[in-house]
Amino acid sequence: MPSYKLNVNGKEALVDLPADMPLLWALRDVLDLTGTKYGCGVGSCGSCTVLIDGIAIKSCQYTAAAAVGKKITTIEGLSEDASHPIQQAWIALNVPQCGYCQAGQIMTTAALLKTNPNPTDAQIDAAMEGVVCRCGTYARIRKAIHKAAELSKK
Amino acid sequence: MRRRDFIKLNSFISGGWVMAQLIPINGFSAEATDCFQPSPLIKLCSDGKIIVYVIKQEMGQGVQTSLPMIIAEELEADLKDILVEAMPFDSEKGGQYQTGGSTSVMRQWMPLRKAGAAAREMLIAAAAKEWNIGVENCVASKSKIINTTNNKEIAYKDLISRAAGLPIPKEPELKNYKDFKVIGKPGQKKNNIKEIITGKMKYGIDFKLPGMLYAAVVRCPVIGGKVKSFDAASVGSVDGVVKIFELKEMGEGVQNRSGVAIVANNRWSVFKAQQRLKVEWTVNEEAAKVNSANYATTQKERLLKNPDIIYNERGDVVKDQNRKDASWVSATYQLPFYAHATMEPVNCIAQFKDGKFELWGGFQNPGKAASAGSAFFGLKAKDVFINLMPMGGGFGRRLSVDYCCEAMQVAKNIDQPVQLLFSRADDIKFDVFRPASTHLLAAKLDANKMPIQWQHDHITSPVGDSILGNKGNPGWLSIEAGGGAYGDVYYNIKGFRSTVSRVAPPVELGWWRAVNFTYNNVVIESFIDELAKKAGKDGLTYRLDLLKNLQPVKIKDGSLYDPRRMEAVLKLAAEKIDWTKKRASGRGLGIACCFYNHAKAYTAHAFEVSVDKTKKITIHRAIVATDVGTIIDPDGFANQVEGGFVWGLSAVMKSEITIEKGVVQQSSFFDFEVSRMPDVPKLEIHIIQSNEDPGGAGETSVPSVIPGIMNAVAAATGVRVRELPLKKSGYYFY
Repeated sequence: MPSYKLNVNGKEALVDLPADMPLLWALRDVLDLTGTKYGCGVGSCGSCTVLIDGIAIKSCQYTAAAAVGKKITTIEGLSEDASHPIQQAWIALNVPQCGYCQAGQIMTTAALLKTNPNPTDAQIDAAMEGVVCRCGTYARIRKAIHKAAELSKK
Repeated sequence: MRRRDFIKLNSFISGGWVMAQLIPINGFSAEATDCFQPSPLIKLCSDGKIIVYVIKQEMGQGVQTSLPMIIAEELEADLKDILVEAMPFDSEKGGQYQTGGSTSVMRQWMPLRKAGAAAREMLIAAAAKEWNIGVENCVASKSKIINTTNNKEIAYKDLISRAAGLPIPKEPELKNYKDFKVIGKPGQKKNNIKEIITGKMKYGIDFKLPGMLYAAVVRCPVIGGKVKSFDAASVGSVDGVVKIFELKEMGEGVQNRSGVAIVANNRWSVFKAQQRLKVEWTVNEEAAKVNSANYATTQKERLLKNPDIIYNERGDVVKDQNRKDASWVSATYQLPFYAHATMEPVNCIAQFKDGKFELWGGFQNPGKAASAGSAFFGLKAKDVFINLMPMGGGFGRRLSVDYCCEAMQVAKNIDQPVQLLFSRADDIKFDVFRPASTHLLAAKLDANKMPIQWQHDHITSPVGDSILGNKGNPGWLSIEAGGGAYGDVYYNIKGFRSTVSRVAPPVELGWWRAVNFTYNNVVIESFIDELAKKAGKDGLTYRLDLLKNLQPVKIKDGSLYDPRRMEAVLKLAAEKIDWTKKRASGRGLGIACCFYNHAKAYTAHAFEVSVDKTKKITIHRAIVATDVGTIIDPDGFANQVEGGFVWGLSAVMKSEITIEKGVVQQSSFFDFEVSRMPDVPKLEIHIIQSNEDPGGAGETSVPSVIPGIMNAVAAATGVRVRELPLKKSGYYFY
């Protein structure tokens, strides 16, 4: 099996894995970073969203091999202690129900706020459309994104 | 002591494995700490920790938040001292672990209050002894007892050994509502919220045992089909594949399909191998002919014959079904199969060792997993120990035990622990679906166009056939009956009759968030609007006219229905949406209500919509008025009601499972569509404050969403759609 050097959450890791293995499984099963969730494996739900060089990417649709030389950020890398403004906003709005999709929601939000620090509702809807929440926390997520935008300015 | 059993049972795995999420890191240690357990649900320890055990399963509905709040209230415990644990599984009490039907708070309300109050009284008695004063001079507050004669305090943790020796009061005095400090107070955050948003929360799918392997199953795509042969070589060279073998059907109540299991040492390989494996099936020819259209036709044809059961009949019923004269109005509704599509696909870890099974995962019905699974292998339920982990969504899917029993069968075939995975395609194609149904509603109207006869013929394939065993039991048809007020209507109608008839299902069926209310309540509340239109009245006035002379009544299943509470939610929803205000043309208002008898909840939804030429629906306002009695955790409750709205929007607009040649056609979120953020407007929630005993929220907030939207769309367009989802008729949200 080929070896790849991955930069995940600021740390370099050398991993042996098949060339076609999606980043999702490399993160979850090889690096034990289980915060990134498997939801569909075909890019239709967004649960597995991570940042690659700051851009929101569905990690089930991106091979680990392709991520070599890039900076990968997962939910575990946002902050250890939930101190990141997005996480603080999520607590303020008490967003999660089952919580399974929330890593995908939060990482997609992180990418959105990077390019658009003050999104409108419509821009939020457009950016978040790819991340499914079956419990139905969308209205809270929308509010929490506004809150995160506000907290990020402080 | 259960807790010790729990550790012992687990000790053969990796030398004392702990469930990080369920056993707090600083929690109880049997050796170092003195503890007192006045009830199986509460343990107070000398290190100050108060452990509350939750016997209901967490799947997002918040039982690990709301249920501990009930204990904290009566115990006068400081919430920050409370650690929440899932109650370790005990097969003898298997049924008590079952979680569904929005009944967790309702059923746990008194037992938890009594447990908390008993512990409080014991701590007070212990302090009184310590100080040698009367209990009347002791007050419990924030995990302490205060001596009211001198304001001295003693912490609960310093009373452990003394309290432990006291008798447990049988009828402790419960607190008065006006003294509540925790129940009904806002600001409580979800238990484990930090773990969730930092990615530390471990769901079943995230858990890994040393040496654990992974399994996926290639299942027969047609119900009842069997493996004829499989070609293990067809998998080719996939790294890490360990074993490929046939998986048997496990019979009534399990309802898994015949298939071939693949075991590998990593998940990517197991899914790859699953894609490649070639299997030949022996398929029943009739089953392989079924498609959605001919299944619907079969249901419609069944309407013409005598019903299988008359579930409910009262008043002056016209029995000859002769609805020819002009005073009769009738309409036929057609509803689809729905999948659950929990975000965490179903999965289960199983290990077979020394003649016993151990399971890890999320289960709404672990007792049934233990009994059904053990029975297949000729074991007893006590030979199955289940580690209960939080679920990435339940919605009724995890009340079925196919995935647990399959995992056990795989584990029995290998000597290592194994995690059985459902890919998303497996999770959707081999779900246990909400039944598709056909409903004929008929009403005879008087001179004022008010209904004096109401008949509801319901054709379905009952859930009970799939998950309760004993296929064909007429009792399973009764479960499907009526919905809404359970085989009854909410309204004052003289003659009433509801029937249910069975047709064979092309798929397995299962409980689904609000199940029968999502068909019966939907068609009843839509048809009422059709009658209102005939009478030239608006939907609100017509409903209120039909409620005003109706007295509180015990409905067929024995629950008490109070029409005054129904009127109140209807009026509140109407007031909040400005029901009587003139709207611009093109705007439509819709209202619908639901009495959810299993969980004592009254709900009304009201919507204002417009529909453009392309059939794009815009929801301008969405209102819910709800009366569920006492609310424990207001923000958690609101989250459930918001989620119920989103669930209903998926059902009314987008979601549908279709079948071609016996095979489910959907496999992911791109074809089994569910609500996404742009679908979902803000929901305004209005609550009727009440000191009635609590009802439930998760399911009760769903049923009136669907007809509410249908009614608003009909009002805006003048066209009544009687087939769901609306997508089939060309409508869309965005």
